[in-house]
Amino acid sequence: MKAILKTFALTAALSIVSAAGAVADGTGWKPSGPIKMIIAFAAGGGADTQARLIADDIQAATGWEVIPEQVTGKGGVNALLALKDMPADGTAIAMVVTESLGYNAAAAGNAGIVPSDFAGLTTTAGFQMGVVAKADKGWSSFADTIAAAKEGNLRFGTMSPKLSDLAFLLGEAQGVEFNIVQVAGGKAVMNGVQAGDMDLGFMAGIQGKGVASGDLVNLASALSEPLVQTPDAPTLADLGVQFNADGYFVFVAPGGMDTAARDALTAAIVEAANNGKASAMIEKAFGGAVTIQGSELDALLQSDYEAASELMQAVQ
Amino acid sequence: MGLWEHIVAGVLAVLLSEPLLGVPVVILMVSGGFLLGITVGATPGLAGPMAMAIALPILISIFGFSNDALLPVLGFLIGIMKGATVGGAVPAILFNTPGTPDAYMTTLDGYPMAQKGEAKRALRIAHFSSASGDTFSDIVLVVCAPFLAILVERYLDLPEKTALLILSLAFIASVIGGSVGKGIISMGLGLLAAMIATGEDFYPRLTMGQSNLAEGIPIAAAVLGVLILGEVFKALEDLHRQSGSNASPEITPGKGSALSRADLRRLFPYVGRSALIGTCIGALPGVGSTLAATLGYTTAKRRYIASKPDYAPDFGDGAAEGIAATEAANSSVSGANLIPVLSLGIPGNAAAVFLILAMDSIGGFNPGPSVFRLGGGIGDSVMNPEMVMVFGIFTSMFVANALNWTIGGIFMRSVGFMARIPKERLLPIVLLLTLTAIYVQETSMAAIWMTVFFGFLGYGMRRVGMSPLPFVIAFILGQNLEATARQAFAATGADPFFLFNSPIALAFILMSSGVVIYNLRKSAP
Repeated sequence: MKAILKTFALTAALSIVSAAGAVADGTGWKPSGPIKMIIAFAAGGGADTQARLIADDIQAATGWEVIPEQVTGKGGVNALLALKDMPADGTAIAMVVTESLGYNAAAAGNAGIVPSDFAGLTTTAGFQMGVVAKADKGWSSFADTIAAAKEGNLRFGTMSPKLSDLAFLLGEAQGVEFNIVQVAGGKAVMNGVQAGDMDLGFMAGIQGKGVASGDLVNLASALSEPLVQTPDAPTLADLGVQFNADGYFVFVAPGGMDTAARDALTAAIVEAANNGKASAMIEKAFGGAVTIQGSELDALLQSDYEAASELMQAVQ
Repeated sequence: MGLWEHIVAGVLAVLLSEPLLGVPVVILMVSGGFLLGITVGATPGLAGPMAMAIALPILISIFGFSNDALLPVLGFLIGIMKGATVGGAVPAILFNTPGTPDAYMTTLDGYPMAQKGEAKRALRIAHFSSASGDTFSDIVLVVCAPFLAILVERYLDLPEKTALLILSLAFIASVIGGSVGKGIISMGLGLLAAMIATGEDFYPRLTMGQSNLAEGIPIAAAVLGVLILGEVFKALEDLHRQSGSNASPEITPGKGSALSRADLRRLFPYVGRSALIGTCIGALPGVGSTLAATLGYTTAKRRYIASKPDYAPDFGDGAAEGIAATEAANSSVSGANLIPVLSLGIPGNAAAVFLILAMDSIGGFNPGPSVFRLGGGIGDSVMNPEMVMVFGIFTSMFVANALNWTIGGIFMRSVGFMARIPKERLLPIVLLLTLTAIYVQETSMAAIWMTVFFGFLGYGMRRVGMSPLPFVIAFILGQNLEATARQAFAATGADPFFLFNSPIALAFILMSSGVVIYNLRKSAP
């Protein structure tokens, strides 16, 4: 009797589990095996944490096995190169930034990476990219900074070649020359500005707490829109630069992917970014989820890639 | 948040860490590492860094890359580091075979004492001196590291930081090993390996089109290959060449008296002097515990001859002072060598290399001056998580010290049997464990082949009498050096002479050439 009861309980449990699975992947698509999630960011950082939480969320919600793997370096180009030749059946995806497929792909011309090689799934969050300095510099507006730069070259910290180009154009538009110091990652810009190794620099959200406490100042928005935290700071366009640092974390898959797979993966990631464990983290670190998908995302990636060559020509 | 809040938070991070088996996990890991360290130290042919190297990838695969992983993993490694120096004395005293290279001087008086039936007493002296030296060194670390970091932050700009890295490398290359030329070649090879596929360009340089190299050489492959595999290959060859063993007969600890107050008073000056020597040497990058032990022993010997009573045994005939001087000196290196690690991010010896490797792999903690900045650069009202982590590390070190004083001595006297494990069995196990550990971390066969390649490189270096340590340290500092130099060049408005324009940078560069020239002259016949 006991044995029969046990079998019955087991069968019941199994059927509930499989029913839950069927509900979760509503589109009916299922990966043919574990999904490899390539992460283009160093282990342990904010971006990596976000990706791993999303992986956990997807696994919990759908039952698909997601295996995160780090492929770092070259501003996401290494990750894209690794992804490019993987099967386009939904078993391989990567998290990079839009800049990886835009400026970085264009700059790494000989690597042979173009947006059309990839299927964009969805963005997860944007950056609040500002031009930031320490409050004790005494600059209350960008004009003060320029006045100081006219007395002696200021050091401008950046964290990617694209941002270095933008810093150069910003100086040119304002009639000053910055000594542009490119470092690895926003944390390094923050440390440099704090230690006095740099006078100002680009920070993509990491400055939030410091600006709130009054130790740091957002002098300008590097985006096409004003910063949420400092809406009065001028944008790069206001300062005479026709390019901007708009950018997002984005999931991509190899090109030529089946629509059902693309839709199912996109839906799973969007769900994680909006409601999963990842959503709380994204809210805290990046000011909330931004999920641009489908043809809108394709257009965004293509236009970023094309704008990159214009930007590179502008600094020549 | 002030300093005090950070200290409290750091201590609590250890004491209130997630309990495992009813004990806070960090304390459990420190204890586990410490006991493993003593065992490894007591096994001739194994050394602390070897155990750290193998443990690291396994620990990372257990604890993951989260911020919570740092303290348990570092705690375990610190435990091994401290345990191994204590354990090294055991076979030195009982078998006349040093368990670790820095315990060689301990055999000189330890084994004669054991032959006279005082083995247990010798072990007690070794333990007491080792624990004292270690504790002293940790206190110096806690006091000095923050000040050094603040000094660096206040006075060193990018060009000076570049010059300081050059000085460290020059010092390491010329001081380690017998030959300045070989040291510099070893360092150059390390820098060359660090250049592969790194840099700011989008094109992976120096990879010769190999896609496996596009992400650069995995740091674990290069470091474990040269340090561990190289050593194993050489030891295997030595075994093959040697026929028969010439080990001295074992002496069991037996019964012995505890150390009296008078004994301690007599030993104290020797322990104190050696602890000071070991701490100073430990704080310099590149000069390891073996030199500290040698210096501690010879200084003590000179003193001893001048002041010894007639009836006391000479150094080399079983003088307790000899053991005390050696063990205090080699143990006091371990705390102080974290001074350059934490305040500058520069590793001074193999153990420090693995601590940096752990911080680097897990992320969230970047050793360097910014670690000691209040507010973490965000604001006075905010905790600097890295600073909390540092105080957590300090707390783990003192937990290890407490273990050393309490159970260290007892445990140490029970691991004598480890020295009887034949190397023929031990070395293949180490080889297999290392390769497994690499695969666990990198999950690629390419990483295994690279490790084997670097293993042969390490073997070759040892065969020609070249120390592999400059290679490893240069490999770790290489990227940092390049990045800092690039930044300094950019920050000074593309000034090609940025290394010579400020007095501090110029002084560092002159010292770099000075240290190389001085050592060249010294080693010239």
